[in-house]
Amino acid sequence: MWGIIFLQIVSYLSVLIFVIVLIAKAGRYATMPIHLRWELYPVASETERPYGGSYFENLDWRAKPRQKSLLGELKFMGKELFFFTLYYRLKRHYWYFVYPFHIGAFLLIGWLVLLLAGALTSLAGISVSAQATNVWGGIVYYLTLIVGVAGFIIAACGTIGLLMKRSMDEDLKLYTTFVDYFNLSFILLILFSGLYAWYFFDPAFTVVREFMQSLITFSPVTSMNPATYINVLLICLFLIYMPFTRMMHYIAKYFTYHKVRWDDEPNLSGGAIEKKVKEALNQPVSWLAPHIQSGKKWSEVTSQVKDTSETEVQ
Amino acid sequence: MKKRLRIRDISQPNEQLVDIALEDLMKLPYPYDQPDKEPPFKQLTEDQKERYESSLDGVSAISIPRPKSKEEEDKLVESFLNGLKKLLSKEDNWTFLQPLMLSLENCAKCQNCSEACPIYVASGKQEIYRPTYRSEVLRRIIQKYLKKGGKFFAKFSGDNIELNWATVARLVELSYRCTLCRKCAQACPIGVDNGLIAREIRKLFSQEMGIAPKELHQLGTVQQLKVGASTGITPKAFKNMLQFMEEEIEEKTGKKIEIPLDREGADILLIHNSGECLSWPENPEAFAIIFDAAGLSWTLSSDLVAYDAANYGVWYDDVQFSRVALKHIEAARKLKVNKIVVGECGHFHKAMIVTADRLLTEETNIPRESCLPILEDLVCNGKLKLDPTRNDFPVTLHDPCNIVRLMGIIEPQRRILRKICPQFREMEPHGVDNYCCGGGSGFAIMQSMNFPDWRASVSGRMKFKQILEVFQDVISPEIKKYVCAPCSNCKGQIRDLFSYYNAWEKCGILYGGLVELIVNAMVDIKEPFIRWEWH
Repeated sequence: MWGIIFLQIVSYLSVLIFVIVLIAKAGRYATMPIHLRWELYPVASETERPYGGSYFENLDWRAKPRQKSLLGELKFMGKELFFFTLYYRLKRHYWYFVYPFHIGAFLLIGWLVLLLAGALTSLAGISVSAQATNVWGGIVYYLTLIVGVAGFIIAACGTIGLLMKRSMDEDLKLYTTFVDYFNLSFILLILFSGLYAWYFFDPAFTVVREFMQSLITFSPVTSMNPATYINVLLICLFLIYMPFTRMMHYIAKYFTYHKVRWDDEPNLSGGAIEKKVKEALNQPVSWLAPHIQSGKKWSEVTSQVKDTSETEVQ
Repeated sequence: MKKRLRIRDISQPNEQLVDIALEDLMKLPYPYDQPDKEPPFKQLTEDQKERYESSLDGVSAISIPRPKSKEEEDKLVESFLNGLKKLLSKEDNWTFLQPLMLSLENCAKCQNCSEACPIYVASGKQEIYRPTYRSEVLRRIIQKYLKKGGKFFAKFSGDNIELNWATVARLVELSYRCTLCRKCAQACPIGVDNGLIAREIRKLFSQEMGIAPKELHQLGTVQQLKVGASTGITPKAFKNMLQFMEEEIEEKTGKKIEIPLDREGADILLIHNSGECLSWPENPEAFAIIFDAAGLSWTLSSDLVAYDAANYGVWYDDVQFSRVALKHIEAARKLKVNKIVVGECGHFHKAMIVTADRLLTEETNIPRESCLPILEDLVCNGKLKLDPTRNDFPVTLHDPCNIVRLMGIIEPQRRILRKICPQFREMEPHGVDNYCCGGGSGFAIMQSMNFPDWRASVSGRMKFKQILEVFQDVISPEIKKYVCAPCSNCKGQIRDLFSYYNAWEKCGILYGGLVELIVNAMVDIKEPFIRWEWH
């Protein structure tokens, strides 16, 4: 009993920590100062120029309306997210493993959502089982089963492949650290423990669904088999650990694309960008090289040229 | 011979990390398909090795003198670490903090970028030239020396790198083994930009330690701000050159054209790279002929800095970059022009039109455009009388990275070439997927010791291969061919490549700009404008 209460506390904490660190990380990137333009073409919103062109191809581009296509961005991101096209095109042998790894992970996220949906359905008095008379209850039951099992198996195949690839491919091995091996091994442990628990103790994911239900209602469950207990505990620990690692690169991906690569927004007079630029130009400069006047504002340093002709600069 | 390196090897003192050997390099097509058909790679002398840092790959791009004592070494290392802290702070590095942190913190080290890098591939896959190598070195230094508990955790995070003078000296050299073409960034699924990391390392060394290649800094931006141009051309000399160009135009074409200078109230302030005036005066001459024939309202400026479309700061130093950009704007405001138009200079396209956009406010934010859409309008809308049969020889287009991948101007130059060059053919890959000429990010003008040899045989190798491949069916020197490179730095690099490999004698390939081809096709110009003896 106390063990299950402990697991429930860890579950709440893990979700809380995950969400807080996720928001903090995204917030940190989002609140960094405006940077100089550094876009990279093709820019996906430029669907009128699919060869990678930009509005700079127009004569007097400032006087012309600019077309930005959200659909173009979504199409690119969709292809990248669900098919990993860059890997497929440039590094096929890696794609064979990185793709199932991620698709398996997406399925497992879907599995967690379905468990939540199943728990809420049960709480609404609708049976979630193979014998369910309600169509919705049946759909949730079978989907949870299929998505969960497929997710565990596909992700496990991808993880084993990545571990082998990273330890055997010389190009990857050189850059793979202890932490990288640890992360992959941790994930593999979760996947194996999940498969073990499903196969031997919880073939319909009923136990985890009940646990999910207990988390929603803040009520204890009477018992849980050790295999499922360990699997849930590992998932919770992973949720706590993950936000502090490089595995959060999916958050960064939003910023690298939308705030750097595709950020082709021109600075127009009186606009929001100009306001931010003015603030940035007020930053003090503290770089110490001889040609820089340290201690002044950026706008002052750049509008005055320091004569360094007597200074030996290599 | 190539050897397998570990990340931490960058810290090993004394020994040279890698040797560049011709037999390791990527193979070139006919007629350079045997290693003995290539010029030998120049090695540094013992004296040069003694005096300058070259322990990365036996090449010296920056000519850093070796420190004379341990104290001096320690001071430089400390200065590097101080600079690194500033690079990661939003007060000191607002200009690039967000893209830098995103790239430093999120690389999955999948090496998807490696095969995209022309230097890594052309070198025969030397580990130190891999796009992720220098980034990983920097990342591990940050992890170990700037993060709390870093020294303890470094033991678990892989190769335990040491921060010493060897690491610092090799890292700055390594930042000048990347042309900042950003093809690697294009290949990254996460959007990590190893090119930017190389640039930021250069910036740290320049802005904190005063270390930069003299061709970019002292002879580049410093000279440009003081004398007027990175080539050393003074305003007076510039005026004399324009006079010479007017005479040459008349001699070549019979046209008496006055090149407008300091004409207040003109629509366009055209800015050329001053390197054109010195090495390829036919390029500004061709612009003058075209703009005159089209009746455009335009002018050049003789103000300090404003007659040189160079801004080398974009490659290594944000402060110098801003200073030069503001001088160009100042000249445009003084002449009360409607817009600045950038001539055939790739890096200035990006620097002036794109990167400087977020340095300019209110009245300094003057419209800035590329010359290419203007030329396209003139050529494709019948505003010039042209006869394409005058350009009836094989022509290919080199895409300057700054114009295509970094600002998305892809088609105007192609529409022009398809219209005026019947034998136009594309290199593969091209457009946004192009390969750098190998002279990008300042390499084309850097002449330190054996760096030009490295530039020709390693960084320019992929481009030379592409050029040879596109002309394989007409490779005989009897058939004259033309590589159109609408960028001064790219032309400088291609000139050096062709000279290094004797490409005119062996293959009959000439290089030049886009406007020269347009003028060559103008019907009212009797003699061919392009002279094959320009090689």
